[in-house]
Amino acid sequence: MIPPAVRITFDGDHRMFHPGDTLAGEYRVEGMQPDEAKAIELSVLWYTEGKGEEDLAVHFFERREPAGGNYVDLAQPCRFSTRLPNSPLSYAGRILKICWCVRVRVFVARGKEIFAEEHFRLGEVPTPEIVLP
Amino acid sequence: MARTFRLYEKKRGNRRTGSKKLGSIGEALFFAVFLIVGCAASALMLSRLVIPEFRANRQFVESTCTVLAKDIAEVRASDGVHYRPDVTIRYQAGRDTQDATTYDITRTSFTDRQQAQAVLDRYDLGQPYACWYDPMNPDRAVLERGYSGWLYMLLLIPISFVAIGTGGLIYTLSHWGTSTERRATLTQKAAQVDLFEMAAADSNDFPHVPRDANLRNSPGTTLAYRLPIALAPGWRLFAAFAACLSWNAIVGLFAVMAVRSHVEGNPNWMLTVFVVPFVLVGLWLVYHLVREILATTGVGPTRVEISHHPLRPGQQYDVLIAQSGHLSMNSLEIVLACDERATYRQGTDTRTESCRIYEDRVFLRESFEILPGVPFSDQCRIRVPEAAMHSFKSDHNEINWKLVVRGHVTGWPDYERVFPVVVYPLGNGNPGA
Repeated sequence: MIPPAVRITFDGDHRMFHPGDTLAGEYRVEGMQPDEAKAIELSVLWYTEGKGEEDLAVHFFERREPAGGNYVDLAQPCRFSTRLPNSPLSYAGRILKICWCVRVRVFVARGKEIFAEEHFRLGEVPTPEIVLP
Repeated sequence: MARTFRLYEKKRGNRRTGSKKLGSIGEALFFAVFLIVGCAASALMLSRLVIPEFRANRQFVESTCTVLAKDIAEVRASDGVHYRPDVTIRYQAGRDTQDATTYDITRTSFTDRQQAQAVLDRYDLGQPYACWYDPMNPDRAVLERGYSGWLYMLLLIPISFVAIGTGGLIYTLSHWGTSTERRATLTQKAAQVDLFEMAAADSNDFPHVPRDANLRNSPGTTLAYRLPIALAPGWRLFAAFAACLSWNAIVGLFAVMAVRSHVEGNPNWMLTVFVVPFVLVGLWLVYHLVREILATTGVGPTRVEISHHPLRPGQQYDVLIAQSGHLSMNSLEIVLACDERATYRQGTDTRTESCRIYEDRVFLRESFEILPGVPFSDQCRIRVPEAAMHSFKSDHNEINWKLVVRGHVTGWPDYERVFPVVVYPLGNGNPGA
């Protein structure tokens, strides 16, 4: 039996975006019966990694659940599209990283969930070179 | 490639967070304990104090009684023996005659026997007095009515427990099973509701880039804006003074005890060895305070102006520096710098770590004099690197750009003054474009 999984793809298979670009793609839930999902959440978000506590902000959020009349046919891929903001740009510093991703959570019975995320870059800020006196 | 859900939570630096479900359960239990303790204490106070006093004052029926006997009862309590005045009375409750041993509804007792005796002295045997009996339970009566006053303030304690427990449980349960992203979305929406629309619209153009309104509200005399200093020298001096005073006041007490033990010929070596490192820290704080006093009083104000704000990667800007005072300068320099700043918790401590990722000296003047009333003034040009990351601020992480003025003065402590600036990203997010 194939374990359930979520696959996320971006249109054109792009991984690099600029502020104001439209991020579009689709996700597909595999290995699950159509009525098994209680809710599906899609988020376009950034989070921090590094020394500090994790900060997170959601740029685009969409929740679908049967009770809301927004039922998703799991057999069909679900499309998403959003215009990306001006900031914060993706960044990989010394003690701080800012990572952008598309994250999908599928909530199933007994509080379990299936989770997947795909990273992408917003902007082209390179890794900083340390310049000390 | 999509990844399945991780067994552990996200790794942060060298740390992993624990299970969110366990955390939620622990949080719910914590608030449940608050609620249970608060409810139990509230119920106890209501049943033993509030309701009986209310009924005695509002519902008990007035009658006349005769004092038959009086005595002081000894009551053992956790803090020792208490003394309770007991007055035995006979009174008419409707058609029945009742006997009761009483004083007030809460059966007040005193730690001092004299106080109990003073209560009893108010009643003479065989004399008639007013009393009040419970119409629902006529064999219960009191000689004194009234409210316990300040005891009602104690109700605030269980009520606050109930409030914290209830609020915490509601918060925990409402977030139970809610994803991190959904919580973040709800929090962001709630934050936007109470913001002024103008402010929200302004900040939404460049989310999580600090606003620069405070940096542009002071016009310069030569260039467009006069930049505010990050921390005024007066505050640095106050902080140094407060730290020096509080530390040395405490350490001084132990130092005096140690010295006295030696003077009296009975040396306490344990205390002496223990106190030495603290004394050394205290001496360093005195040295630091003296440096701050000299730097604050001896060096006049530093003014920095800039031709444009906010800054953008790849762009050039004029900067003016003006330094007042009566100084013989070895050197004066301006540095354009960028720091990453991260805040994290380690146990119960909140720690902040900073890392300089960019530093470029944009101005240097060596060996010159500054005369009183004639401030030194000069201009230079700065250039924000094309590949620069923009300023950034979130709850626990920051990227801060700044102009740092460093002065090296002959015969005087060096000083450093920081003037924050904000770097915005380019419109297309490509710093090199």
